[in-house]
Amino acid sequence: MCDAVADEGSFRDPGGRIFSSRSAVLRAVLEPSAPAYEASRDAGLLRGLSDRGLLLPAKEIDPLALPQVSPPPSYVLEHPRIPFISYPYEWGFSLHKRAALHHLDVHLSALEDGFTLSDATAYNVQFIGTQPVFIDHLSLIPYTDGDVWMGHRQFCMQFLNPLIFWAVLGVQPNHWFRGSLEGIAPEDLSPLLSWRQNLAWTIMTHVTAQAALQTRALRTGTTVGKPRDRRLPKSALVGMLQGLRRYIDKLKLPGQTTLWGDYAENTSYANDEQVEKHRFVAEMVGETGPALLFDLGCNSGDYSQTSLESGAKNVVGFDFDPGALERAYHRFQKSRAFLPLWLDAANPSPSQGWGQAERKGLAERADADALIALAFIHHIAIGRNVPLDMAVRWIMSMAPTGVIEFPPKSDPMVQRLLSQREDIFPDYCEEAFLAHVQHRGRIRAQKHVRTGGRLLVWYERS
Amino acid sequence: MKQAVAYLGLGAVYMSLSSPAFAYLDGATGSMLLQALIGGAATVAVVGRNYIAKAKELLSRKPTRK
Repeated sequence: MCDAVADEGSFRDPGGRIFSSRSAVLRAVLEPSAPAYEASRDAGLLRGLSDRGLLLPAKEIDPLALPQVSPPPSYVLEHPRIPFISYPYEWGFSLHKRAALHHLDVHLSALEDGFTLSDATAYNVQFIGTQPVFIDHLSLIPYTDGDVWMGHRQFCMQFLNPLIFWAVLGVQPNHWFRGSLEGIAPEDLSPLLSWRQNLAWTIMTHVTAQAALQTRALRTGTTVGKPRDRRLPKSALVGMLQGLRRYIDKLKLPGQTTLWGDYAENTSYANDEQVEKHRFVAEMVGETGPALLFDLGCNSGDYSQTSLESGAKNVVGFDFDPGALERAYHRFQKSRAFLPLWLDAANPSPSQGWGQAERKGLAERADADALIALAFIHHIAIGRNVPLDMAVRWIMSMAPTGVIEFPPKSDPMVQRLLSQREDIFPDYCEEAFLAHVQHRGRIRAQKHVRTGGRLLVWYERS
Repeated sequence: MKQAVAYLGLGAVYMSLSSPAFAYLDGATGSMLLQALIGGAATVAVVGRNYIAKAKELLSRKPTRK
């Protein structure tokens, strides 16, 4: 497959390389990882995990399918494409918690068969809808009783500590995690916790004690030698993993007991206006039949639901409000088609990491066939002071066709944004909005959902 | 005191004769020392939990009366 392109984020592992083509993802299994791969394959571990939906399916194909790899790899695996790649700093609380539990489940399952995970990076967990799936087959390696948990620190930095931010500190970790791609170190989290919060066993050990031992070791120059000289009995490893699983399973966002109360209010009887909106969206989606649709400002996913019912194969919902993401997650928690992600539209995930290409920015991953941006543009144009022209341009760049809702200044949603500031937006009006859209495409259909009220526009980019 | 903690951790570790797994990460000293400490405690906790579970089971079994 000569058109397969090397993934810029896949370089650290001398045993494997990822390539993507339009239809599939190919993994070159190189000589250093071949023995471990053969062992986990022949033991039936890989098949077992993927049959249970825990691991991405893999099929061995001709090793010469990647002529760009020289010398030829020991094996080439073909994997199905994941509809949308997301990064841990784009996850809301429940999604992150789900990923953490999934990682632990994969690890515990592997241990039962005599294998372990060589690392614990959150980037090895992806989502199909809201269902987590482990994607790094080469992380599964043979286990010998006594092997220490090499991924422990990584697990703490990328899974445990961000979840502690959410549930114990009540603070969103996304901004920190996005800047610090390796996660949040125990030494950085420990000073933020109160003595009371430290009393939990899991925090006392995995955060505070680990931080103290690390800091002390760095100061005194203590070293612990090679991994093969250290020993952790299997019962202790399993105990640790199960203890972490129990702790993480119990984590809740502060105030989450009121979650369902809010949800009930939000799903109250839809008024005529909402019915009109649903109909307009359904028409666009039905016509377009998108394989991937973006719902910008998805809230609890009402219109994502409509999109799925109208023929969208996969929907990624983006929202800035963590509460909305929680509502959306709980509504779609069994879904394999809807994924809710955190997005600050005025500051989307950039391309970053090694070579500023290791982790792709949103624009590089945006492969949507259609989008809906309902009750969204005023947050950007008014709330974030982005000129209306640029806001329209950005939205239209995300997908070749879609529905944008334009609430006029008189609308209560916009009035709320203007209530405490000067109105410096003379360009924010329907005529200007329509002109900006037509500058970049054609208007397939438009409709006011209420006379003098909000305007729905179905655009097609030229 | 700080020496004691470090040595206590190191003291809980025995030389391993197992073959090295293909591990590419730098485990980080704090994590390795902690595992040595936790390892012991978790084993105790797991064993302890088993005993407590057994005890509960025995106590909850109602003696049959004829």
